[in-house]
Amino acid sequence: MINLIRRDLIIQKFQLYLFIPCILFFIIFGSHLSAFFIIVFAGFFIPINAYSYDEKAETNILLNSLPYTRTQIIASRYIGAIFYMAVSIGITIVLFSLFNRAFTWTDIAIGAGITLAMFAFAFPLFYLLKPGYIGTAIVIGFILLVILSQPAITFLGEYLTPIVQFFASASTTILYLSSAGILIVLYAASWLISQMIYQRKAF
Amino acid sequence: MENVIELRGVSKALKAFTIDNMDLQIKQGFVTGFIGANGAGKSTTMKLIMNLLQPDNGEVSVFGLDYASHEKEIKDRIGFVYDSNIFYESLNLKDISRIVAPAYKRWNHQQFKAYVNQFELPLNKPIKKFSKGMQMKASIAIALSHDAELIIMDEPTAGLDPTSRRELLDIFQEVMVDGKRTILFSTHITSDLDRIADYIVLIDEGKILFDKPIYELQEQYALVKGSTELLDPDTEAYFIKIDRSPNGFQALTKDATKVKEVFGNHVVIEEASLEEIMFYMKGADSHYD
Repeated sequence: MINLIRRDLIIQKFQLYLFIPCILFFIIFGSHLSAFFIIVFAGFFIPINAYSYDEKAETNILLNSLPYTRTQIIASRYIGAIFYMAVSIGITIVLFSLFNRAFTWTDIAIGAGITLAMFAFAFPLFYLLKPGYIGTAIVIGFILLVILSQPAITFLGEYLTPIVQFFASASTTILYLSSAGILIVLYAASWLISQMIYQRKAF
Repeated sequence: MENVIELRGVSKALKAFTIDNMDLQIKQGFVTGFIGANGAGKSTTMKLIMNLLQPDNGEVSVFGLDYASHEKEIKDRIGFVYDSNIFYESLNLKDISRIVAPAYKRWNHQQFKAYVNQFELPLNKPIKKFSKGMQMKASIAIALSHDAELIIMDEPTAGLDPTSRRELLDIFQEVMVDGKRTILFSTHITSDLDRIADYIVLIDEGKILFDKPIYELQEQYALVKGSTELLDPDTEAYFIKIDRSPNGFQALTKDATKVKEVFGNHVVIEEASLEEIMFYMKGADSHYD
């Protein structure tokens, strides 16, 4: 299992060199971006990139011919995503501190929450899609993100802080716990669905 | 004699292709050549054996174990080679071995390095820059470096030049020396098998037409040539398939001794090559054996 997770680092050696410069770019030139947005980007980077390597039929033939079970292959994807997200966010926090970029723990919690929710939706969808469409899906998603980011940032800038403040003042712990609970259920459901899809896949 | 692979009543329906109620036994300690035309079902059968496809019905067991409860154990003991590159093509062989090695309990790095040297494979060049022959050799180096008891190869010689093919066949022979290993090897280049195969399995349209020791094929099967006047419903029964031409007939028999007895010197009997057997068996009425 650990080998499967470690594999993500080996296959994207070169992309990893891009990781820190990308985050730095956002920190230095993205002063208009909310800290949580950078966190989402950072958390999303490695797991999704790793996934784009795994969409190929050949890769699935390789993994399934090695002594791994399909259950393990899916588990490594879901556990690996949490692990790499945590490490990436850790690195981002260090970079934030080094470059005196202001952030709050709420930013981090929201950023991590959104990233996990995105994984929960993206992974089963990717396992359902035929190989070759995932790259296209990511590109379309990215273009939409670029087009929508300006209005979204304006919107979030205006409303998110008040919303966060409202929630924070409203019921704090219970609110956090319940959103964490919803996320866990969502992530677990997504894991189960991916597992069911992958179990039936023919290569 | 023990069977290392057993398929019992296996059925699998794919979009354009069906395997129906297939039985197949691969004997331990031998090289079995799996032959058939393109699209005959060789790759599908290999995928069923590797559990890349799951049968709709029937059972697949490898080393006497089933995939449902022993998947990892089975695959730990199999070395695989596929007809196209399945490794991350932007990675070099060193990184690929880093990914593959920890998956196996008995990965032998010394062995791997020995094969890499023997095959003159570069460790730091991305796989996509390898020639087809080098990709195949890389795949074989990996398949042979974890002390696998069963080596499954789907068209390992396809796309290789004659020198590389010969070289590979020599390696397979070396690998077989200790007598514990089993090789299942699909190909449509039947001449590869004359040199190394002990058993031949012929598949056509998803059906196993025969599964025999190669010496038995060479003894029993023969090409018979003679005048068409010799043919009548009774004599035709000795042949699997008959080609008629104005100059006479040419036919395949699976009972060379009997044909010799019946036709004597009126016909010419020649040894049938695997290719000829494959050609004549294809499309002939089901002559199961």
